Amino acid sequence: MRAYQDMVFSTAARLAGNDTQAEDIAQEVFIRAFEHFSDLRTSVTAGGWLKTVTTNLTLNYLNRYRKRWRLFSEMRPATDDGDPDAPEMEWEIPDTILAELSAEQRCAIVDAALRQLPDHQRLPLVLYHFEDLSYQEIAIKLNVSLTKIKTDIRRARAALLPLLQNGGAARDTLDG
Amino acid sequence: MAESIMSNHIDTEQKLERALTEACKGLPLRRAPSTLELRVVDELERRAALPWWRVSFVHWPAAPRVAFVIVCIALVAATFLGGVFAFMGDRSFNEVTALVLSWVQPFLAVMSSAGGVATLLVRVIPPLWLYGGLAFGIMLYVALFGLGAAAYRLYLRPSSVGDL
Repeated sequence: MRAYQDMVFSTAARLAGNDTQAEDIAQEVFIRAFEHFSDLRTSVTAGGWLKTVTTNLTLNYLNRYRKRWRLFSEMRPATDDGDPDAPEMEWEIPDTILAELSAEQRCAIVDAALRQLPDHQRLPLVLYHFEDLSYQEIAIKLNVSLTKIKTDIRRARAALLPLLQNGGAARDTLDG
Repeated sequence: MAESIMSNHIDTEQKLERALTEACKGLPLRRAPSTLELRVVDELERRAALPWWRVSFVHWPAAPRVAFVIVCIALVAATFLGGVFAFMGDRSFNEVTALVLSWVQPFLAVMSSAGGVATLLVRVIPPLWLYGGLAFGIMLYVALFGLGAAAYRLYLRPSSVGDL
């Protein structure tokens, strides 16, 4: 358990955007792992199994709370804020973000920024950038259309950029 | 002109994707809380201490599971047969059949009359009124749906970062 607990907790925390929920999810993951202990003990894919179970349990956990509002939230078409292909980012995109910071500092800023995103943007973004799933796989996993996934990820990136830049600037000020 | 704007937009998006991919690449894992291991062990002990009848049916021992299924089947059968015998009493089969039919016939008569009235109404009411009524009903339904959606978006939709 010690070998995997950080991976399980990180995955759940980044997806859920909430450490308390992530701890509950991680607890349930390890209880399920214990129930399959005889299979996992000798398996070389135990890490992958744990990651998949963590992702699925987190999505189930979040689904439980959003299901009742899903009908209305997804009635909002991906294009209702105007043309989906219209430029949304009016600021300059840097070549690198937070590159001058250490990995630990970057981790703190990225995780804090992710927590500020709404679920429908954070989930696909984390699945794309941290779990390396394709748009199509994310659409299937979240049971929403491919167009909505692409729009949500694009908006999530646009929302994340100023948060990361502000986080980096605040860190620079503190260090300075 | 439009092609140039679109091309710039795609370039911007690709640049942002690359920059974010770089920023997210190789981030260290978050450290799990020190309480996690203890919580898991406590929960496993708590579940292990539960008596077998408090855990999920699939984890029951085989003998109680089989016994439970047999008892359930017996109870359903007893309830059904008890009802049938209580209803029949000392009546013969023909008497029971006649009694059931005597209950069914008025019901069928009512259904038939209702069908007749509906057919008459369809003949008497002009088609324009019928279609108008149907359209009005659909419009009310859509309005209710729209009101629900508007209320959700106004009061309940979680705020997005763009709203902050």
